[in-house]
Order: sequence, then structure tokens, then C-alpha cells
Amino acid sequence: MRPNLFIVLFALLAAGCAAPKSIEPPPVAHPARLFPTEAFVTQRAVLTVHGRQFTLNGYVAKSETRGLRLIVTENFGGVLADVLVKPDGKIIVLKAGPPFRPAWVERYIAADLESIFDDHAKTDGSLRMLSDTHFVIERGGYELDLRTVDVKPGPQPAEMFETAGGGRP
Amino acid sequence: MKFFYTIAAMMLGFAIFAADDAALQPVADAQPILQDLQRKMSSLGSVYFELTQERHLKLFTDPLKSEGVMLIERPDRIRWETTAPYQSILLGDKKSVAQFEFADGKWEKLKLGFPQMLQRVMDQMSLMNQGRLDALTSDYTISVATNQTVAVLTLVPKDKNVRGTLSSLEVRMQPDFSATREVVMHEPNDDFTRIIFNREKREVKFPPETFDQAKPAAIEAIRATMSNAP
Repeated sequence: MRPNLFIVLFALLAAGCAAPKSIEPPPVAHPARLFPTEAFVTQRAVLTVHGRQFTLNGYVAKSETRGLRLIVTENFGGVLADVLVKPDGKIIVLKAGPPFRPAWVERYIAADLESIFDDHAKTDGSLRMLSDTHFVIERGGYELDLRTVDVKPGPQPAEMFETAGGGRP
Repeated sequence: MKFFYTIAAMMLGFAIFAADDAALQPVADAQPILQDLQRKMSSLGSVYFELTQERHLKLFTDPLKSEGVMLIERPDRIRWETTAPYQSILLGDKKSVAQFEFADGKWEKLKLGFPQMLQRVMDQMSLMNQGRLDALTSDYTISVATNQTVAVLTLVPKDKNVRGTLSSLEVRMQPDFSATREVVMHEPNDDFTRIIFNREKREVKFPPETFDQAKPAAIEAIRATMSNAP
């Protein structure tokens, strides 16, 4: 994650003013470390494109050895995007429905997924972590405001990380 | 989103009860039943539902669940609010739609994308609220099946493109159509969404700002009113 100068300054000031001084836990190096290595995570997002906002739900199956699977739905459950990211970084778009195009899912949604859930992912400065449950991703054409609303630790079914039988028409 | 308004439109005339599929018998001539339904719909002024939404995806072992409320007031006002696992309010009437998200202790009104699409569906809902079932029959092939404990209204979209995302929509009601228990939306890939209506109050008077698209009343205030309603 890109160092945020304001946060650093604020932390220094706060440390200087506070008495007695306490030892704060070190900040999390990467948001992926906020989540169990094996988990099912539910997130609520507000996507802003050209000043217009859309609410989305994201469901992420996370496996250290199998990869990441994300399903994005609209408010009432319709699946808008389904993408699998293998541990080797290979991206497989299983579904892309309007308004998302397959190339958009591959290029942006998969990148956003990795930026939060894959601690090996390259950082490009687009992610800000406002708290342990609140992330903002800003790229050229959009802003994604993401909040984690539920985390269920534990291994997810292997089929979730396979393309055969796991794809969506 | 279109599903939502279709459901919302249908719910104005119904309230909901437990269903049982044992020995469902198709009704040969659904027209008298639909007319009865239309009569009931046209006489109901307001309704309050507490609901559970279950999203069943083949991929997931467990359904994705959310909780919420749906409020409808004649002639055209509707409020759909998700209360868990996140908080969100969608409001609509014949003129406009609005959405609010709750974050960091406050509600934020969104600058909604594609409001005109929602608006068009809201207009359809308004027709439904006036008891215009003919509007529905132009878009869906409707059949009815019943047994001792349940009546199931099945709507199949006539438009091939719509069937690409929605195979059918089931509304499960009491046999006398006085109340509905759940709505199930089936998709071509066998995924489905079930909306279970846990509690319902009819002909209620909502707090003044319930449908206010600038500053809607808090759900707590609405629930307090519902608790005192007969």
C-alpha cells in the first residue's frame, strides 16, 4: 500500500500529544493479512463512475493454496461478475454481465480483488485502507468504496476454485 | 432490479403464509382467480413486510442471506430497506427513485446511476397498484396451481431475452389469496432467490417521512409504529 503522509504525520502528532504513551500494534502490512488464509468474505461496495453511484455486493472465497473467487451481485442478487484468480495469478472470467464487460472484469475487478486479498499482489497505489474493514480503490475511471460486512473463517469447497462445473452461464 | 419491482408490485395485494407443495393441482382456467386477485389488490392501501432474502447459488453450500423490510403505500410509494448484513434504503414513487447507504454512523444519499430504468419499472408498479393485472399478463404467462394449504401463482416471462435471466417467478399464497408467504425467482441455471415474508401488517399508517426521498424516517421509528398498529 502507498504510504499515506497525512496518516504518518497524524500518527506522529498523536503520539507526541498522548500521555501516557502506549505501544500501538503495528499497522497491517497488507490488507490480505486482515483475513484468515481460508475464508468466505462478504463485502458491500459503492462504485462511483463519472459521478454516478451503484451499490454492489461482493462474495469472496479465499484459499491460500487454491486462489480467490469473487462473485459480484447487484442489490437483489443478480450476478454481474464472476471471476477466479488462481494462485499463479491467472485470471479466469466466468461471467461478466451488464454493465461489466469481460475485459473490464479481467483488468479491473480482478485487480481490485487481488489488491485486497492477495498479499503477493503488486501495489500500484490505487488502494487506501481507511480501517480494517473499509477500503477505497481509486483508478482513472472509477472509485470503489468497499466495506467488509462479514467474514466466515474456514476452508471453502474446492469446486469454488475450479473452472469445470463452477462456471456460470 | 426489475425483479424487485415486479415483486413489489405483486405484493401490494398480498400478505403471506406458510406453503406446502403436496399434490398441487393446476387450475384449468386461471382467469377467475386472477380477477379475484385483482379485486383484492385494488382494495389495499398500504402494507408492511419484514422479510428474509435468500440467494441460492449452486456454487455456494449455504444461501446468501439478508434481512430487511418492504413498505408499500398507495398509489405508488415503495420503500425497500436492507437491515442486515448491511444497511441500505431504496425509495421510489411514480416520479423518482432514491437510494441511501448507511456508513460511519450516518446515511448517505447516492447519486444513483440509471434512475430512468428504475423509473420505468416504477410506472409499471403503479399500474399494478391500481389493480391493472392486464399490465402483468402482457409481460408474463400466468398459471395457477393449488392444494389445501397453498396457492402458487407462476409467472413465465413472454420475452425470450427476459427468460435468459428469469425463468419463472412464483408467488406462494394462502389458498384464498388473502395472504402470501414467499416469492421465488428461478433462473435458467437453477440458481434462485427466495424472499420469505416473516411478518406483515396491512392498512397501516406509516410515519410521515417514511417515503421521504431527502431524509427518510429511521426504521426504528417505523417499527415502533408497526408495533403499536392493530
